[in-house]
Amino acid sequence: MEVAQLVLNGVMAGTVLAVPAIGLTAIFAVLRFTNFALASHMTIGAFAGFVANTTFGLPIVPSLATAFLVSGFFGWMSDEFVLRRLRASGFVTTAIGSIALTIALENFVRFGFGNQMRGYDLPLRRDWVIQGLRVSPQQVENLAIAVVVVALLFAFLALTRTGKAMRAVADNPMLASIKGINSDTVARLVSFIAMGLAGLGGMLTGLDTTIDPLVGFRTILSVFAAAVVGGLGSIPGAVVGALVVGIGEELSLLFLTPAYRTAVGFLAILLVLTLRPRGILGQRAY
Amino acid sequence: MSELFARAIVAGYGAADEILKGVDFAVGKGEIVCIIGPNGAGKSTLLKTISGLLRPKSGTVSLDGKDITGRLPREIARAGLAYVPQEHNIFPSMTVRENLEMGGYIDPGAVPRRIVRAMERFPVLGTKQRHAARTLSGGERQILAMAMALMVEPSVLMLDEPSAGLSPLAAEKLFDAIVEINREGLSIGIVEQNASEALAISSKAYILVDGRNSRTGDAAELAANPEIRRIFLGG
Repeated sequence: MEVAQLVLNGVMAGTVLAVPAIGLTAIFAVLRFTNFALASHMTIGAFAGFVANTTFGLPIVPSLATAFLVSGFFGWMSDEFVLRRLRASGFVTTAIGSIALTIALENFVRFGFGNQMRGYDLPLRRDWVIQGLRVSPQQVENLAIAVVVVALLFAFLALTRTGKAMRAVADNPMLASIKGINSDTVARLVSFIAMGLAGLGGMLTGLDTTIDPLVGFRTILSVFAAAVVGGLGSIPGAVVGALVVGIGEELSLLFLTPAYRTAVGFLAILLVLTLRPRGILGQRAY
Repeated sequence: MSELFARAIVAGYGAADEILKGVDFAVGKGEIVCIIGPNGAGKSTLLKTISGLLRPKSGTVSLDGKDITGRLPREIARAGLAYVPQEHNIFPSMTVRENLEMGGYIDPGAVPRRIVRAMERFPVLGTKQRHAARTLSGGERQILAMAMALMVEPSVLMLDEPSAGLSPLAAEKLFDAIVEINREGLSIGIVEQNASEALAISSKAYILVDGRNSRTGDAAELAANPEIRRIFLGG
């Protein structure tokens, strides 16, 4: 029963993890670098949602929309004014630049909100117990929101002209430019959507616990591991990878104390890079 | 009056690198014009320069009387020039139909009608429209790449070694398709290693050697020239 409970928790956590992991992998697919600034954008989203929820009294879903829009805007701006200028210098320079950026943005949040932990304005609800498995209503809502968001994203990529153009740039940027697709516009759009997803993921993570300026930093290793395990650049891979890492982190509690749970992310990256460097689903963008 | 003019093109891949050393090239209305030459002569570099993937150090390119020198590939595509690279000329993870949609990206209103036309012209694309493009054979990929280029109804189509890596049968089918497209009035520039086939379907030919124009003239006359036959046609 303990294993079943951990697997259930892992599925819940993995589904939420998939949201920012899709953002990370989408940026890699289109812009060809790993944007570690995703961590601070998770934090920005979590705090934007916090302000919407506790200061302006918005319910959770509009607060999540606020988290998406604010972190997406920051993502677009930070790419436009910082990272885009570094991209010509190569993958490593841009990735290191994104680490510097994330430290700066995280401290920007810290200046505004301090270091203390904060919680969203949520009603107190009793956990549900089904067949001996315990699950909180908030976890179920988070799962449903994450599933809807991922489904909407898939529909956007599969059905809209803009979504297909994003996939085309991810697939073959040179050919996309020959076909008249403006890769700069696609880059802005992917930065907005990916960092919006990061912010949404940041708030979803915080809804289940609390938030502080390190909420993104604590999660980024799991997010990165999910993207690598699924196949960096593959959006379905990010979903699969997030479930693997989420369940793996929970099951690790059978052998490890919670403090070592993040080791699962390192282990997953190590195993994948050793045994299947392209990840579970390879590098297919969609 | 030519549709496409490239004059005195100097271009290369680095600051000190000059692969093209003053090349002239033109495609007239309704013509098929081929560019042949040994490996490293600069044939593909010329096409990349014309299509905007490489910025020329000097020289000019004009399309229908409009200067397109050094413009971005997407601007040149909108001006009416469609370029099919030798490799990586499809979106492999997208379906055949999605590839055609992306081929017509700059003119979305006409896409449904032109997809129907593309599938009539190339029935294999119709039967495989839901297949991922990476699953197509080499010949089918080249057909798809050409069909994608035709989705914008360009004024000039530039093909870079379309028969490379194809079986003789697939290559023959492809050349038949090129001739058929040309009969409908499209001007075509084609770079080819398969010089005899290229000369056979072209009205005019350019021979490039070491980044310079070596010979230019009527394709049939060049094909009959003993020296050209010995060097490029193996006989």
